[in-house]
Amino acid sequence: MRIGIVSPYSFDVPGGVQLHVRDLAEHFISQGHFVSVLAPADDDTPLPDYVVSAGHAVPVRYNGSVARLSFGPLTAARVGRWVESGRFDVVHIHEPVAPSVSVLALWAVDGPIVATFHSSNLRSRAMQAAYPLLRPSLEKISARIAVSEDARRTVTTHLGGDAVVIPNGVFVERFASALRRPEWEGTLERPTIGFLGRMEEPRKGMPVLSAALPHILREIPGVRVLIAGPGDPDSVREKMAGEAAAACEFLGPVSDDDKARLLASVDVYVAPNTGGESFGIILIEAMSARATVLASDLPAFTRVLHGGDAGELFQNEDPVDLARAVVALLRDPVRREQLAVAGRERANAFDWSVVAEDVMAVYETVILGRSSVRTSSEPDSRWGRLLRTGRNSGGT
Amino acid sequence: MDLSWVVSGIALLVLIAWYVSYGAARLDRLHSRVEGALSVLDAQLVRRAEATLELANCGALDAASALILASAASDSLEADTADQTSREAIESDLTQALEVALGEDALAHLRADEAVGAPVLQRVAAANQRVQLARRFLNDAVTDVRRVRRKPGVRLLRLAGHAELPQTFEFDDELPMLGRGD
Repeated sequence: MRIGIVSPYSFDVPGGVQLHVRDLAEHFISQGHFVSVLAPADDDTPLPDYVVSAGHAVPVRYNGSVARLSFGPLTAARVGRWVESGRFDVVHIHEPVAPSVSVLALWAVDGPIVATFHSSNLRSRAMQAAYPLLRPSLEKISARIAVSEDARRTVTTHLGGDAVVIPNGVFVERFASALRRPEWEGTLERPTIGFLGRMEEPRKGMPVLSAALPHILREIPGVRVLIAGPGDPDSVREKMAGEAAAACEFLGPVSDDDKARLLASVDVYVAPNTGGESFGIILIEAMSARATVLASDLPAFTRVLHGGDAGELFQNEDPVDLARAVVALLRDPVRREQLAVAGRERANAFDWSVVAEDVMAVYETVILGRSSVRTSSEPDSRWGRLLRTGRNSGGT
Repeated sequence: MDLSWVVSGIALLVLIAWYVSYGAARLDRLHSRVEGALSVLDAQLVRRAEATLELANCGALDAASALILASAASDSLEADTADQTSREAIESDLTQALEVALGEDALAHLRADEAVGAPVLQRVAAANQRVQLARRFLNDAVTDVRRVRRKPGVRLLRLAGHAELPQTFEFDDELPMLGRGD
């Protein structure tokens, strides 16, 4: 099958949507399909060979966080060329309402389109303003996928109709086989907590963790907090109490390998996100790596953790409750092990081998519809159709 | 003075012509999406009925369950494709027949039988998943068509011509025990 996948966000910076696109593409390639991914990227960024650059990406504030997007006539032309030369059986557009390559691709493609909605908080104001313009191209989508129940609710509220829920996938084995790194492992005196993500983005929850740290340190003075991800450590440190800042170790952006090893090594992995998470793939990665997961009780996180069976939950945006939960877990190795084992089992349901099969079923369904249309009606020009309107045009 | 009236008149006509042509093309695209989705649903329903027949005849089920399944499946295969209401009832019946026949014991028995039972069950599950997908995609397309056809401009200019107003396809297609479990 010839599959074209469109990512609205730049591959220069990692993010949930980009990773989803990359993994899906690599899974289908490994199954012998032809896959081409169109994404914004600077021309000098090294890209995997299945990725085609849609042009330079510009940082833009959109939907509550800064995204690197690509737009403009030059990009539109590149999108058109990609669609034309790809001869795709199906084009899979991610986040079709993001003002980037996705919207442009939606305009350019004429054929079976599958769209995946990731976000659970579309800005209704922006959506309403741009709606008359977007509506007709959204009607070209044959199949809508939502990555979570929350994302699906967003689709039904804002766009009407429905969407099939197919969750994000994870290569469980990649994380499960990660080796621990001794310097990240906790000891009885100096247990370790892990945090991953863009630390300067408030909704990733760093402020909540910062506020919880003094409480944790009062109970367990030796605790070490390992923080991995892009961002300026000083901006985080200066908002912290002195002893809290001293407990933090900043690892900077880490490779995929190190991310898995960090998750496998720490005593507790904390996800204090305050909102905007429609899915929480990081939790599944953490569970795959046999981490003990402690997450805020966002609906998406609660679902992924199976209501708390596969990881501990604390009250969202409540540093005191976070501190209580961290301390309780760090003092109870049996409970930690129990959660880690349950989490590893839970992660299997989200493995790409399972998830991609569902996506393939969607592709096959829309392709089946298109080919039967093509054979049953002859090509009809807009004007030909117009001239017959009102007389006998009937359903072609 | 006169000339400017003529110019604006022409501009208006061009605008109307564009609106009509654009609206007609948009509706045309939507109608063919509905048709495509409907033919997919037809195909998937046939596959599901065939898979059910296979399950009924695989020998791993008791005779009564097999008979219920076979009867529901052949009703589906013989259904009049033009009569949507009766088809919806027939397909709901087939879903319910599957639900009744695939109780906990029967499922365990089928799953244990790796030579025949498990693969047949797998085919039924896959077919039902595709029916669900096809029905959902069809209903999305129908919703879109109906929304566009409600627009006053579209109604006034009768851009939809005599194309029938499509209906959503409503029947029970939930077989929770065949899901992967969540």
